[in-house]
Amino acid sequence: MDELGISGGHLISQIINFVLLMVILRLVLYEPVLKMLDQRKERIAQSMKDAERASAAAQEAEQEKAKILEGARREAQEIRAQATRDAEKAAQEVRSRAEADAQEIRIKAQSDAEKQAGIALADANKQIADLAILATEKVLGRELSNKSEQERFVAEFLAQQNGGA
Amino acid sequence: MESGQTEPKKGFFQRMQDWVRTHPRMAAIYGILFLLLIVSFLVPVDPPHVAISGEPIFSNGPQWLTNSVLGTIFVDIVLIGLAFLGTRKMTFVPGGLQNFFEMVLEYMYSLSESVAGKNARKFFPYVMTIFFFIIIANWSGLIPGVGSIGINQYHDEHATQEMDTSANADLGSAQLAMVGGDLILVQPRSADAAPAAAEENAPHFVPFYRAPSADLNVTFALALVTMIMVQVFGVQALGVRYFKKFFVWRGDGIGMKLINGFVGLLELISEFSRLVAFGFRLFGNIFAGEIVLATMAFLIAFLLPIPFYILEVFVGFIQALVFMMLALVFFSMATISHEAEHH
Repeated sequence: MDELGISGGHLISQIINFVLLMVILRLVLYEPVLKMLDQRKERIAQSMKDAERASAAAQEAEQEKAKILEGARREAQEIRAQATRDAEKAAQEVRSRAEADAQEIRIKAQSDAEKQAGIALADANKQIADLAILATEKVLGRELSNKSEQERFVAEFLAQQNGGA
Repeated sequence: MESGQTEPKKGFFQRMQDWVRTHPRMAAIYGILFLLLIVSFLVPVDPPHVAISGEPIFSNGPQWLTNSVLGTIFVDIVLIGLAFLGTRKMTFVPGGLQNFFEMVLEYMYSLSESVAGKNARKFFPYVMTIFFFIIIANWSGLIPGVGSIGINQYHDEHATQEMDTSANADLGSAQLAMVGGDLILVQPRSADAAPAAAEENAPHFVPFYRAPSADLNVTFALALVTMIMVQVFGVQALGVRYFKKFFVWRGDGIGMKLINGFVGLLELISEFSRLVAFGFRLFGNIFAGEIVLATMAFLIAFLLPIPFYILEVFVGFIQALVFMMLALVFFSMATISHEAEHH
């Protein structure tokens, strides 16, 4: 033993040294580092879970969005259809009112025209009668004594003509 | 190209000149190496200092202060200092030394978990300290100047370890010889006279630093602690039943009882053989490595030691890992009940 350099004092001092070193390193190095590793592991697991949850939420939101979009599209469709229908109705209304107006105007114009024509005809008749009387007077060379009777006669004749025609 | 045909064959020196001209840097490196080789043959190198055990640094100072004690203190300071620096400001996002320690510890912890399972937390501080201490101790012996810086002691009544360091010896024919626990360098023709020379009043060189793992006190201290801890962990896990594997008196008939008893005895012997193997394995590897390096440096001071240095870095790591793994395996073996195998 002595020749190999082993001595009790050195051996014991080395044992004590090693045990002390182990205790110190355990306090200074292993425990803090292992604790830190555990903490980080925990944190990573936590953040993985969070990320998973977030992605699930995002997926949900995506679905929600799609649903809302679908609803909005349907609504827009409906509104458009409604608007089209309303517009058509309004157009129909406008058209029918215009038609009615036109009809009215036409009728009025027609009656006006008829009235005008009646007046014109009466006027013409009167003039024709006057001319006829005048012509007759010229032809007979004398004045018809009974002018009023004469006029009546012509009117009767014209009425007859009108009725005959 | 016609020149290739018409040009005369170049001579060796011509080609070498061309090569030097085209590769000036490589040529310079080769030249320096060659010069170093020449110089290393011309300049005598002191024969390697070989002592099997730690020596007191001051021959008339305290005898306990050997160079391997100094080495142990150095390793302690390095380890504790690094640990302090690494964990002084722990941050959640690690950097630098903290990152390094976390990496190493995490790797080693998962390694010990794969061996010891749920007991890993209990064994870890122990095996990790073994690993750190041994690897720093091994590598500290490789630092240049570790074995070569020291003081010459002159023989007095304290000196117990001596060696012939006469530099003018015929180095080429020198041999290592064992003299009373010391390896010394002697010449073949004076081999008989070597022990006598060791007693002469020649200066005795003692390096300041010695790798702790090249000292049997250190390796046996580690081995002792390990084997004691094996028993402690075994008792912790199994109680008094742990010792049943050493003293077996079981089986059918006296024959089986005797065989089992013998097996138990073998177990007991193997505990002690593990102790010795632990101690000498580490010491032998590191001590032999130091001798190899010293011898190589002695033979050719330049270039030749480099591959051996690389080898020793590797050996230092492997020995630390082996000590750690064996301790881990013995620990976990001690915690497993032997009774389970029988019932």
